[in-house]
Amino acid sequence: MRALVTGASHGLGRALTQSLLDDGHEVVAVDIDTAPLDALIAESRGACKARLADLASESSVQRLLDVLTDQTFDLVILNAGISATGRFEDIPQSAYERLIAVNLTAPITLASQLVGQNAMAARSTIVFVSSLSHAVGYPGAAVYAATKSGLALYAKGVRRPFAKRGVRVLTVFPGPIRTDHAERHAPPGAKANRRMAPDKLAGLILKAVRRRKRELYPGMGAAMAKLFGNLAPNAATRAMRKAIFDKLDGPVW
Amino acid sequence: MSETQHQPLRIVITGASDGLGYHLARNYAAHGHDVLTTGSRQINDERLYFDQAGIAYVRADQSEPQRAAGRIDEALDRLGWDRLDLVLLNAGVGWSGDPAEEKPDSVAWQVAVNLGAPVAIAHRLSSRLFAAEGKLVLIGSTAAASGNARFATYAATKAALDAFARALREEWAGRAQVLMLHPGPIRTDMHAKAGLKLGLVRRFFMTPERVARAVAMAVRKGEAKRMITRAYGWRSLLSRPREGQL
Repeated sequence: MRALVTGASHGLGRALTQSLLDDGHEVVAVDIDTAPLDALIAESRGACKARLADLASESSVQRLLDVLTDQTFDLVILNAGISATGRFEDIPQSAYERLIAVNLTAPITLASQLVGQNAMAARSTIVFVSSLSHAVGYPGAAVYAATKSGLALYAKGVRRPFAKRGVRVLTVFPGPIRTDHAERHAPPGAKANRRMAPDKLAGLILKAVRRRKRELYPGMGAAMAKLFGNLAPNAATRAMRKAIFDKLDGPVW
Repeated sequence: MSETQHQPLRIVITGASDGLGYHLARNYAAHGHDVLTTGSRQINDERLYFDQAGIAYVRADQSEPQRAAGRIDEALDRLGWDRLDLVLLNAGVGWSGDPAEEKPDSVAWQVAVNLGAPVAIAHRLSSRLFAAEGKLVLIGSTAAASGNARFATYAATKAALDAFARALREEWAGRAQVLMLHPGPIRTDMHAKAGLKLGLVRRFFMTPERVARAVAMAVRKGEAKRMITRAYGWRSLLSRPREGQL
């Protein structure tokens, strides 16, 4: 099986790449900086190839697609994402442009072009990594939350038309993950051990792909949060405000 | 005319060169309020174009979000409006078709106009809104709730706005209100522009006049989130005609 993973150098993307390589698959690993993957690539004996791309840049995404569409993929995991936390008006506008480009424009463009240019194998899967914020709201990361809900509804919209072309869609809604990225954006004093380890989440995602699931709220915490968000959307967002927004130190982007 | 005895409110409405935005601008201006409208086309004589006094217009193409926000900001400086009672972000564009055939330019264009620009404008105008404890109104679409196979990216951008409003409403509590209104399909030329031939179905869509009235009612009532359905449109007919008030 050949897989594509975006945002492969760190966190969840790295865990997914590692896990796929361990299972004997080929991985094309995309990131803005692939140096952290050097050791992994050397060990993989050719199974892992790195592709540099800045997903905030339309031309970089286009160049990436030019390379990718020469082959076909059985699994594409659109995982790359960035965040910006703090009071909405305290974060510079330039950070929002980048956030929207990386988290929303890039995965939509990659998905539609890979499917449209027949770079997806028959009975393949595209995984969109959204966020638990889609269920509960995320004061303190209003634009991040916007991009993740946008991605969730894009995935919902393309499920049927992509299925007609033999491509399944899985949307993942992870809660906090134990990564450096989450550490930077969490309020001070937040407990790291309550976040899901990236390799555990990677395992759950690959299992959901094998089981042909459409949506994955990984872990008991995410499932409970989803239930809370569905039953009492306003209370859930207020709770998020108290747990996160009211405790944030200052803007981080 | 008790409405006009009120202090005139200061209102910004985007995407007002036609459709819903056009009717909203005319309604508010007819009640004596001052309205700054925006659109992507050139309009030389606002008085003639809107057939209504009290409407200023600035060309602000939202496919370049930062620039559009800057143009609006400059226009407000020229008008000397340092307080805004209502900012109604209505401008939107859509592309319709098989999502596997959607071009990257189309994705980027919809994301910029429907999400990037509202974010940039809300960001730029936030201090003026706080000064008046005003209302920020985002116009979404009923497609945001369910996703849409023929309007996949459009529905995604509207769902993104919904999540943006949900978070911002909590962040801005006590400083400014954030309203998220999702109209159903409206009888405007948006569907034709998106490349969709509708035929008779279009007859069942609400007219922009009716939706404008329903939106004004939702704004007046401060509805945090509301689907602007046909039933809500009928209800707005029964409401006392005070839509000029906020």
